Amino acid sequence: MRSLFEDKKTVAVLAIPPVAIMLFAIMAPLLVSLYFSFMKWSGFGAIKFIGLRNYVELLTADKVFVRSLLNAVALMLVTIFLQNPVAFAVAATLTRLGEKSSRLLRTIYFIPATLSLVVVTKLWVNIFNPTYGILNKILKLAGMEDIAIAWLSDTRTALWSVIWIMIWQGFGWALLFYYSGLMTLPKEIEEAARVDGANRMQLYTKIVIPYLLPVIQAVIVIDVVSSLKQMEIIYLSTEGGPGFYTQFIAVYLYQKAFKYSEYGYGNAISVVFVLIAVALTIAIQRAFKKMSDE
Amino acid sequence: MKTNESAIASRAFGRAVMWIFLAVLAAAQIFPLLWVFSYSLQKSGDLFGPEFFKLPVDPQWNNYFLAWTNGRIPLYLANTLLIVIPSVTLSTVLSFCLAYACSRMTWKLQPLVWFIITVGLTIPIHTTLLPNFIWYRFFGLIDTRLGLVISYVAFSLSFNTIIFAGLLSGIPRSMEESAFIDGASYAAILPKIIAPMAATGFATVGVQTFLNHWNEFIMANTYISTELKRTLPFSIIRFQGQYSSQYAIQFACMALVALPPLALYFIFNRWILAGVAAGAVKG
Amino acid sequence: MIKKIILASLCLALLSGAAFAAGGADKAAAETVVLKMGDNIPDRAAGWGAVIEKINADFKALHPQVQIVTESYQDQAWQEKVKIYATANQLPDVIKYWSFSTLLKPLVDGNFVEPLDMATFQKFGYMAGSLEGNVYNGKLYGIPVSGDLWVIYVNKKLFADAGVALPATWEDVVASVPKFKAKNIVPLVTDGKDGWPLSIMYDNVIQRVTGSFANVDAAITRKAKFTDSEFVQAAKYIQTAVKAGIFQADLVTSDYGASRNLFGQERAAMYLMGSWEMGLAVDPNFSQAFRDNLDVIKFPVIAGGKGKADDLVAWFGGNYILNAKSKNKALALEYLKLYAEKFPAYAWDAQAAFPAQKVTPKATDTIVAKKLLQIAAEAKTTSGTTGLDRSTAAFKEVHQDLMRQLVAGIVTPEAFCAQLDAAAEKASKE
Repeated sequence: MRSLFEDKKTVAVLAIPPVAIMLFAIMAPLLVSLYFSFMKWSGFGAIKFIGLRNYVELLTADKVFVRSLLNAVALMLVTIFLQNPVAFAVAATLTRLGEKSSRLLRTIYFIPATLSLVVVTKLWVNIFNPTYGILNKILKLAGMEDIAIAWLSDTRTALWSVIWIMIWQGFGWALLFYYSGLMTLPKEIEEAARVDGANRMQLYTKIVIPYLLPVIQAVIVIDVVSSLKQMEIIYLSTEGGPGFYTQFIAVYLYQKAFKYSEYGYGNAISVVFVLIAVALTIAIQRAFKKMSDE
Repeated sequence: MKTNESAIASRAFGRAVMWIFLAVLAAAQIFPLLWVFSYSLQKSGDLFGPEFFKLPVDPQWNNYFLAWTNGRIPLYLANTLLIVIPSVTLSTVLSFCLAYACSRMTWKLQPLVWFIITVGLTIPIHTTLLPNFIWYRFFGLIDTRLGLVISYVAFSLSFNTIIFAGLLSGIPRSMEESAFIDGASYAAILPKIIAPMAATGFATVGVQTFLNHWNEFIMANTYISTELKRTLPFSIIRFQGQYSSQYAIQFACMALVALPPLALYFIFNRWILAGVAAGAVKG
Repeated sequence: MIKKIILASLCLALLSGAAFAAGGADKAAAETVVLKMGDNIPDRAAGWGAVIEKINADFKALHPQVQIVTESYQDQAWQEKVKIYATANQLPDVIKYWSFSTLLKPLVDGNFVEPLDMATFQKFGYMAGSLEGNVYNGKLYGIPVSGDLWVIYVNKKLFADAGVALPATWEDVVASVPKFKAKNIVPLVTDGKDGWPLSIMYDNVIQRVTGSFANVDAAITRKAKFTDSEFVQAAKYIQTAVKAGIFQADLVTSDYGASRNLFGQERAAMYLMGSWEMGLAVDPNFSQAFRDNLDVIKFPVIAGGKGKADDLVAWFGGNYILNAKSKNKALALEYLKLYAEKFPAYAWDAQAAFPAQKVTPKATDTIVAKKLLQIAAEAKTTSGTTGLDRSTAAFKEVHQDLMRQLVAGIVTPEAFCAQLDAAAEKASKE
């Protein structure tokens, strides 16, 4: 009987096609990337081997790379400490409402998450437009002309404007995760806590949140990784500008390859990017493991 | 007496605040779309007018017709379907198989494959954009819909496999065992017994993968150069040069492109919720 | 069992034979040749794009079996596409590309460009020096299509509304800012996202300061340095003017189409761009009022500077090149010859572009067209290829990046010049 769960032929049939696809479309290209990261190449013409020069320049002399990492960190912080708590609070509120209102609101809140990033970005680029965008029109009508600026071009606001677009789009997912997590909370726990005299605050901080730690962990891991992965929104709006104030790694490597014709360097950024993403994920999972063990 | 009244009053106040907050949030989520939709029915020049919101008193439905033609929506839509239907089907079926093999069967390489799956989750798709130019070109996959299908499937396998694995682990072994005793082989057990038990997984994975693949832009934009093979998100990008002054039509195009995923979401939102529960809570 | 297999294979063989035969017959019948082209002119209904479509129609009349398929993107997007195509060896048969030393030369070095016969094209009335600009190692690698003058288009009505006179100096422009702002008019727009208009502006301002176009070339060839005082002064001048508000607020994120639209939608009084936009005067996408009020002026001078208004930044641009790896080289060459033959007359008739070939002025020319001819005729000195196109591709990118940072206020004029000089130094070593 056990041997049927060990049947090699079945395992082969089930596992080989998907794994083969992953190796072909993900792992192999990463190796190709690694190869080209040691080269200097414009995309056509001569390929020159230059060893670790790309990496040295990237890790010691690239201001834009550092800035793109910092921008990702800024996004992470806003997501984890602003978007997530709001999403959690709203999810908690929704669990207390009637089924109909809850469903209606959930649907509305999730709509931006269903949209293509092209739609989302072009939408907000139009809203932020200083001449005809609705944001500035409202500000001018409210008499706040001084802050009716070019949101995506001004060095003071460009980064926060694109971060706003990103958290606006991702809010629905965070909400959904927390909501489904909260729905799995057995009612008995709540009642037991109430009987023990706990108030709303204590209920949430001492019981609910620890219970939902796996969900919170999942959301945070996804948030951290997606903060690093931001590409389309920047590519379709500021392209990293003004200067490099809104630059993100994925956009930077794309531009290095296709705009600056530094294909080898772009691949070096790719490789470092993968390493950072994997390392960060492992680090967070370890951190959460420690937290739940305590 | 007084304490009760003030308690009720403060609770009512609290509730009011809560509802206002929820309403403002809903407005923030929806209003941008309403704005786009409203101006999609007006003339492009109206966008430059002084008022900040104008209801379309003279709806220019023609804008939608123009968006359909100028945005080349029928062509791009056909391409998107040609790519997404195979990719979603393949991704769903393959991730189910892989999840079964990893979560319910015992074999030597299982931990390694599971590791590949979890690592695959963290790899950003943009890191394959550059090397695939060389790699896919070598296999003649550049500028083909097949190349996109392969990449889409590959990148959705990790997440979907994890969701299925979570669902499948809850099924008791006795299911297969009794079927084996009756003389059935895996070829019959998997589709007839196990798959139906993971039905919600299929729905969730299917819908979510569909949304992701339908909206995917950067890979399609980078790999596909032939106009005839472009996908739907590209129709909005078309509005440049001769069309860039046609804001209203661009807005209409955005509304049209946003419609299918929205409709899909409204119909299937139950399964999206279930999948999120399965993935996050158990995974 | 065996009988079944034999029968099946026989059927299969017959079917495939039939399919091949049918396919072969189809092939012999309709031998349509597809000629692929690419350019940076997405608007095919008006202006330059319409002129090209007319030439394409003429070509098809001469060669009925040819189908021309054109891909067009905005400026920067087209450059990206060309690089992607070159990498994947999928370049169209004929492409419009420009800026020899920075964009074309890598393609030439990569053997993507077919050399052309100088004698063949010389008989098409090209202006002196235009074809020569595309000669590399003794071979002609492309035909220039436009004579590009760097000018400012103006909307006379908006000037009248704000009570401002047409500017002769940049001080005039800066002084006009509050008057324009009071009427909610953007004084000046240009494509700040791509950066190259700003780079050309920098060249022009340097000349207005020093009185000579030679300074930029000297710095690039390392006979001078970008950190010399005149370069810093020009950079400072531009940054101060931008801070005073002469440009649109979202300068660094306004791309080519967006800035052009701001002007065409009559939200801006001036548009800093080249003579290839003369088609604005006949663009049906914009209102008749706009077209009627359109005029063009020379790049203003700087008070106290040595450069004069008749010192013109002008060069030959917009080359058409032949893909050396094309499968339809003979046909593509025929197309180029037809283009060289027809373009000047068609373009001038449609008032769509300023050709690099001689044209006959007409009484029906638009004000803009007449003015451009006049500006060209009155030019005392011309710049030739602009600074950012005189060095390597890497230098061009750095130049554009730095200009964007300069106008965004991210970098000081001194730091700007220092980094630009470092880039020039690096480029000179390659």
